[in-house]
Amino acid sequence: MAERDARIDRLLLGQEIADFLYREAELLDERRYREWLDLLADDIRYWMPMRRNVKFGEDEREFTRADSDINWFDEGKDTLSRRVKQIETGIHWAEEPRSRLSHLVANVQLQGAEPSFAAPQQVSVTSRFLIYRNRVQTETDILVGRREDSLRRNGAGWLLARRKIILDQNVLLTKNLTFFI
Amino acid sequence: MSMNGAMNGRRGYRSGLVNLGVGEISREIFVNEDIYAEEQERIFARAWLHVGHESQIPKPGDYFVSSMGEESVILCRDRAGRIHVFLNSCRHRGMKVCRYDEGSTTVFTCPYHGWSYGTDGRLVGVPYFREAYHARLDKEKWGLVEVAQLCNYKGSIWATWDTAAPTLTEYLGDFTRFLDLQLDGWDGREGQAEVLGGIQKWLVPCNWKFPAENFSGDTYHNISHRSVDLAGIGPSGAGRRDMGERDASRKLHVCIPDRGHQTILYVLPAGRLPPPAYMNAPIVAEYFRHCEEERRRRRGDESRLIGAPGEIFPNTALLSRQPRTMAAWHPRGPHQTECWRWFFVDRDAPTEVKQFLRDYYIRYSGPAGMTEQDDMENWNYAHAASRGTIARRHPYNYDQGRGTAVADYEYQGLRVPGEVIDLTEVQSSEQPMRNFYRRWAEFMEADDWSQLATWRVGERKAAE
Amino acid sequence: MSAPINVRDLVPGTSVVLADGAVAEIVTNPGDGMWLFARYLTSPSDPTLVGQEEMIFAPDVVALGRSAVV
Repeated sequence: MAERDARIDRLLLGQEIADFLYREAELLDERRYREWLDLLADDIRYWMPMRRNVKFGEDEREFTRADSDINWFDEGKDTLSRRVKQIETGIHWAEEPRSRLSHLVANVQLQGAEPSFAAPQQVSVTSRFLIYRNRVQTETDILVGRREDSLRRNGAGWLLARRKIILDQNVLLTKNLTFFI
Repeated sequence: MSMNGAMNGRRGYRSGLVNLGVGEISREIFVNEDIYAEEQERIFARAWLHVGHESQIPKPGDYFVSSMGEESVILCRDRAGRIHVFLNSCRHRGMKVCRYDEGSTTVFTCPYHGWSYGTDGRLVGVPYFREAYHARLDKEKWGLVEVAQLCNYKGSIWATWDTAAPTLTEYLGDFTRFLDLQLDGWDGREGQAEVLGGIQKWLVPCNWKFPAENFSGDTYHNISHRSVDLAGIGPSGAGRRDMGERDASRKLHVCIPDRGHQTILYVLPAGRLPPPAYMNAPIVAEYFRHCEEERRRRRGDESRLIGAPGEIFPNTALLSRQPRTMAAWHPRGPHQTECWRWFFVDRDAPTEVKQFLRDYYIRYSGPAGMTEQDDMENWNYAHAASRGTIARRHPYNYDQGRGTAVADYEYQGLRVPGEVIDLTEVQSSEQPMRNFYRRWAEFMEADDWSQLATWRVGERKAAE
Repeated sequence: MSAPINVRDLVPGTSVVLADGAVAEIVTNPGDGMWLFARYLTSPSDPTLVGQEEMIFAPDVVALGRSAVV
């Protein structure tokens, strides 16, 4: 019974976290950026490294490092808020007219919960994304990759405390990253 | 002007497609496939191109795969410590000998048939050399194709395929001091720059000349960046950057004729230090305050020069202040550019300063950069709207400030070289673009460097 | 024909036996899986190679000899 209870705890938590990620994706697709910002912890770290083509066995060279190297994103809530503010000016031409976005979130896997799956305060979760971005008349970008997230309990809900985005590209194939991943 | 007329005889670049006399340039030069093909021969095969920085290849065996024009090249340091730039293509059957971005190696081995080259480019390994080649292959003749000239200028590595090209220093001419602003220390010491890890690379659907002319000194498009000014990403919390040093200065367009290099430049009044900046971080603000004092102590009047966007012909962009970055605009067909960005800090700057600057660079520049994003939207759709039959009949207007440049500009005792327009009151000009495209047309028409190195005629006459 | 050997990760100091019966000791391994820089220890078919450092092509390595103590 105890084992079954533990599995149910994990199952329920997994679904709760997946629902959080789907709701987050929906907010972004619907351009409800202020509500999306409210899902972010004040001390969030939002990081998307760049990737290099490296020799077999030299994996330590593949990703640019947080804090010291140039990355695609490596920032906190203040900068993320300014990005939203920029879109909301209505004159951020790179995102005006606005893109049509669909965030597909898949392969959601609960990696761990502290202190327990039954009463979690912090959760780590991975997922994969496929973001379809269509813009103006025929501009289309598809970005695919993986996210490693850390969520923190906030009352009955959750806040995103940390996101590492691993994009499956080397040379960025889209001219801009005016959207959130 | 028919394309045949442009391609034959005098090609018609200077007399038709680039018509500086009335300040008009044909859209053809951005969208025409034949002109693009000519550019690869006449410009990218002959000019000096920026390849990388020595701090990317600190030790023997280190390499960084870069690009010169359309072509992949390997920047590497050989066992003896010498720097080379090679075409990334096996001499046997062309396969890329290195498909990694960077690393360290003893040899570059081709995966196709196993030919192997040392980091000095020499062909050292040939399978079945004694058997299949009967030891008759002259390995000395079949090393990796090396650039004709290479120059390490204060750490930045430049190369050209043209043996007849002037040296880099001669190629830069009076523009050298503006490259110095990029590479020298903030405190005025020579050549202190290092490149931060991570070179941004991204594709934009536009001709390479759109970003090239933007960085030549487009002072007119500030309005396009209004949204980032409103968002306030500057290092003191407002706007796009700290404006104090610019607001206190004369604002200039500086064009080096004969070379095709140009820049926006700010010049402080005599005896004036730049106002406080980087106010979001007291440690950083204090660091830069100290640097500015040291710079004035070391460089005197020269320290009044404040760098801003500039372009070295054909496709290297500079920006030596906020943010401190260089870019290369690699042609990928007439309708696409692969942009590469290097970001600089002084190598002995404190960690907090480097981190602060790095955060700023990321939110300013590149495809996730809140400023540069709007530039790329403009380049993308300006190009797209210029491809049609009707659009191509209507030239672009490059008339702004035509005929107003002076050749002897001086501000409170500081002479500025080249043809200069003081923009402080007039706000903007398009002199840098006219300077860039004049040089572009010269390259497209010139048979050789005797026709391009026009400054030598003047020097010869002066000597006589 | 002997089974292929992946020479990519062989450490310097390892001995390799070559197709012509020679034995060589790896000096440098460029890690490309195609070549080794090795010094000939024995070379029955061409004694002048003994003591010489040469580039050995991977298919010529038919067996491993003494491995280096890492």
